[in-house]
Amino acid sequence: MSLNPVYVLRETGQNLWRNVLSSAAAVITIGVSLWLFGGFFLFNYAVDNATARWEGGIEFVVWMQPEASLEQDDNIRTSIETSPSIRSWTYVDQDETLEEFQEIFADTPELTEVVSAEILPPSYRVVPVDPSPDVVAELASQFVDRPGVQEVVSADKTIRDIQNLADRVTRVFLVGSVILLTAATLLILTNVVSAIRSRGAEIEIMKVVGATNWFIRIPFMLEGLVQAVLGAMGAWIGLRILDDTVIRGLSQPDSLQLMQGFQVDRSEFYSTSLLVLVIAVVVSGIGSAVAVTRYLDA
Amino acid sequence: MIKLSSVTKVYKGAVVAVRDVTVDIGKGEFVFLVGPSGSGKSTFIRLLNREERPEHGTIYVAGKDIGTLGAWRVPYLRRNIGFIFQDFKLLPKKTVAENVAFALEVIGKPRHVVRKQVPAIVELVGLSAKMENFPHELSGGEQQRVSVARAFVNRPPILLADEPTGNLDPQTSVGIMKLLDRINRTGTTVVMATHDRSIVDTMRRRVIELDRGSIVRDQARGVYE
Ligand SMILES: Nc1ncnc2c1ncn2[C@@H]1O[C@H](COP(=O)(O)OP(=O)(O)OP(=O)(O)O)[C@@H](O)[C@H]1O
Ligand SMILES: [Mg+2]
Repeated sequence: MSLNPVYVLRETGQNLWRNVLSSAAAVITIGVSLWLFGGFFLFNYAVDNATARWEGGIEFVVWMQPEASLEQDDNIRTSIETSPSIRSWTYVDQDETLEEFQEIFADTPELTEVVSAEILPPSYRVVPVDPSPDVVAELASQFVDRPGVQEVVSADKTIRDIQNLADRVTRVFLVGSVILLTAATLLILTNVVSAIRSRGAEIEIMKVVGATNWFIRIPFMLEGLVQAVLGAMGAWIGLRILDDTVIRGLSQPDSLQLMQGFQVDRSEFYSTSLLVLVIAVVVSGIGSAVAVTRYLDA
Repeated sequence: MIKLSSVTKVYKGAVVAVRDVTVDIGKGEFVFLVGPSGSGKSTFIRLLNREERPEHGTIYVAGKDIGTLGAWRVPYLRRNIGFIFQDFKLLPKKTVAENVAFALEVIGKPRHVVRKQVPAIVELVGLSAKMENFPHELSGGEQQRVSVARAFVNRPPILLADEPTGNLDPQTSVGIMKLLDRINRTGTTVVMATHDRSIVDTMRRRVIELDRGSIVRDQARGVYE
């Protein structure tokens, strides 16, 4: 069977145009739902990136000065090793710090190019026995003014609050997007059904003269697909804006210290975009497949 | 060309529309189906292009048992069968040429074939001057000519017509019958259901009469009665 592309485009275009308002409604619904869906992923990536240092129960980090002497370093290490309040710890040397840095700022080559391992601080990542904020604060303060120490940063209550909040916010995104995606599927279904209904005469003739089922179906299915892809494009633009303004804005150097690293790298952004497109295609596929099998092939 | 053996069609509600019909229609024949309203003529015709399927019996069309045909092959069966409706069923927003072209486009014929065959068939039905007119600008007879052109543009070996003159006055009907006669003389098998006594009586072709679904008369060069 040869599908004449002019024929297919004309039919699909006419279907969309005939119901331009409900097509627009479907496009908007899909766009918003996919935007929420993608936003869920972007936020999760950003939170993970921002709090990567704080995973596995690590409650505070002792950053050493890059030029700290071996003796100063030994001193700190002994204190950590012998402290009964510390369950475990890891040492991150300058090379590993550079790797981490390059990961966090993968999108900012200006930054990663000028940085070398020697100027980065090595650090001790510490897991205390008791993670309650008071105990952690007290423990961390013991290292603050020691020689060779640059800075002690603790994952205090704020970090945990942010992780909790982010969890909750993204869950709302996810639930909302799933509900809206269902609505979008139903809208595509109704649009395709009404397109089929309004073309009853054409369809009858097509069947009588021997058009194949696929030939009859494809313009209708394409109509659903076009709506979904347009919605996905809108969602993609929305995700760019979300990334450029909200997420980047939060990680500006002058914003909260603990938001450093709150960002989404390029591969994460593009895999999210791809996922959004795939979901759009699946949603339109379900909607129009149900429509054509229930209302066309009968 | 068309062969039915012991074909019975029962609609739900237990209406027996076609009852144990066995009949053989050869290539190039012209057959009138007559009989009172509700005798099963339309059902007979719809069985031939598999719009309906029989409860019993087998139907051969163009050498194939259409009862065992997979659903995906039904469209290809129908490309061998032109269909003419009583109420024309032209698409109102398409011109004469577009209505005829539609039948070729939707079976995937390339554009150069469409451009060649459409004017030829429109000329055959005598509507060359009205190619770009819309159906509402045509008389009933002209609309039926377009419908014949659409049914025949793909040169199918079989033409089915369900009361093609039912909505036309006698004068106009004669014109349509001349057209169908011409098409039949090119070797096309024509099966036509009709209530039109004068047409049947003047054409003198094979007449199959149905009554409550059964064949009660099958007469070569027959009359309406
Ligand atoms: N789709 C259907 N569902 C149920 N019964 C049907 C259906 N189509 C036809 N019938 C019944 O089958 C019988 C035969 O109908 P059919 O339309 O074949 O007769 P016909 O000879 O074409 O009549 P007419 O001359 O009025 O067109 C009638 O009793 C009719 O009511
Ligand atoms: Mg009838």
